[in-house]
Amino acid sequence: MNTMIQTKNLTKRYKDFIAVDDLSLHVQEGSIYGFLGPNGAGKSTTMKMLLGLTKPSTGSFVINGKMFPEERVAILKEIGSLIEAPAFYGNLTGRENLDIIRHILELPQSAVDEALEIVGLSEFGNRLAKKYSLGMKQRLGLASALIGKPPILILDEPTNGLDPAGMHEMRNLVKSLPQMYNCTVLISSHLLSEIELIADDIGILNHGVMLYEGSLHDLRQTAIQKGYEANNLEDMFLSMIEQDNAARKKRAVI
Amino acid sequence: MKALSIEMKKCKRSGVFPIMFAVGIFGALYVIANFAVRKDTLLALPLAPMDVLLTQLYGVIALISLFGIITATCLMYQIEHSDNAMKRMYMLPIRITDIFSSKLLILVMLLLISFTIQYSALGFVGNLYLPENSFELWTLIRYGLYTFVMSLPVLLFMIFISSRISNIWITLGVGIIGFFSGMATATSDIVVFLINPFTLIMYPAMSNNATVKFSALIIAVVEIVVFLVVGYIFTKKARYE
Repeated sequence: MNTMIQTKNLTKRYKDFIAVDDLSLHVQEGSIYGFLGPNGAGKSTTMKMLLGLTKPSTGSFVINGKMFPEERVAILKEIGSLIEAPAFYGNLTGRENLDIIRHILELPQSAVDEALEIVGLSEFGNRLAKKYSLGMKQRLGLASALIGKPPILILDEPTNGLDPAGMHEMRNLVKSLPQMYNCTVLISSHLLSEIELIADDIGILNHGVMLYEGSLHDLRQTAIQKGYEANNLEDMFLSMIEQDNAARKKRAVI
Repeated sequence: MKALSIEMKKCKRSGVFPIMFAVGIFGALYVIANFAVRKDTLLALPLAPMDVLLTQLYGVIALISLFGIITATCLMYQIEHSDNAMKRMYMLPIRITDIFSSKLLILVMLLLISFTIQYSALGFVGNLYLPENSFELWTLIRYGLYTFVMSLPVLLFMIFISSRISNIWITLGVGIIGFFSGMATATSDIVVFLINPFTLIMYPAMSNNATVKFSALIIAVVEIVVFLVVGYIFTKKARYE
């Protein structure tokens, strides 16, 4: 299996604050990679770097064999993304918003209807995007990520703003994507309980540092070895974060 | 061309097109109404008829155009800044500099259309009211092109400010301060004030003859090049943080 996304010692510094510290992550082709961490762990910053929204302080990354920033346009042609709050033109309808993206990606006209259909927005396609509810805006964001069936999807907390039914629907959709479109998904969340239902591999980030990277199966084994219940990884995840925070506090005192 | 057609689509319901057309139509209506009402007073001025036609009406035309430029440039990037639309563009395989240049091209074309409407009205009024054989089409076209070029620095300056500042009220504030600074310095003889693009657009209105002032025109051309280069460099370097 090829590595679709690979970062090498990726670091992002803001003055004296390190948001992402020496991060090396590996996302395998055709897999769903759950990127976990508490709020402010550096998940969004990492994803922003992968999309060229923010410049890495040091380190590098390769996406589908292409180097950034030399092959920025080629990389972005292959990525569908949803980062933080959905981004759209409020003066345009949902359909017109997707049509702009379709035009940029040089996709056929049918791609717009297809994307609206996937996220369940077909009947609201002609409504102005600024009049959408939060959940509908999130769906529009996901539709703009899915349009044209890109081989790589980067989704930053895509269930934000969705009701429980919408969250369930979104999870099922994300889970089916590798089989449906043969795509690779990098998805972030601060809830392991959410990610463990869909991910093949996971990376746990805290204060910009990768605490664990590997398969969900291996994490379960580790959990059992450490005395946690294998069917409740959330406890182990929280304990890992707490231990790391405690170690940091100790280092800071010394 | 692809970037230009995308930017045209984005302008839908943004208000940019109606504003720039309104600039042309209001300017034209002002010209026609003013000359129809005040033709005797205006033609009694100790000036050549073509100078009366062009210089006595350009002041208000410049004001209307300036308001249109400030508003349209604010709205042009407001659609990108509100709801983080620009963020989406940064994540797509499109050059951000193409967005800047396409928006600029659309605004320049719209300004040209509004000038054409206004100067068509001047041509109509000139043909109708000026004494026989005193209307000169070439003088009208030359003055129109001169004032159009003098208006471009302020358009470039405002689109650059609008592209950099996400808060529309700050951009609008810069435009209003610029407007007052232009009003305050347009009558001055100090050439340095012409560096201010808001003064440049008003400058032709302060003269009583419709000849092209080449020194001011050169300043305008230099400013156009400077704002173009600065805008391009800043857009190229910018990232969505």
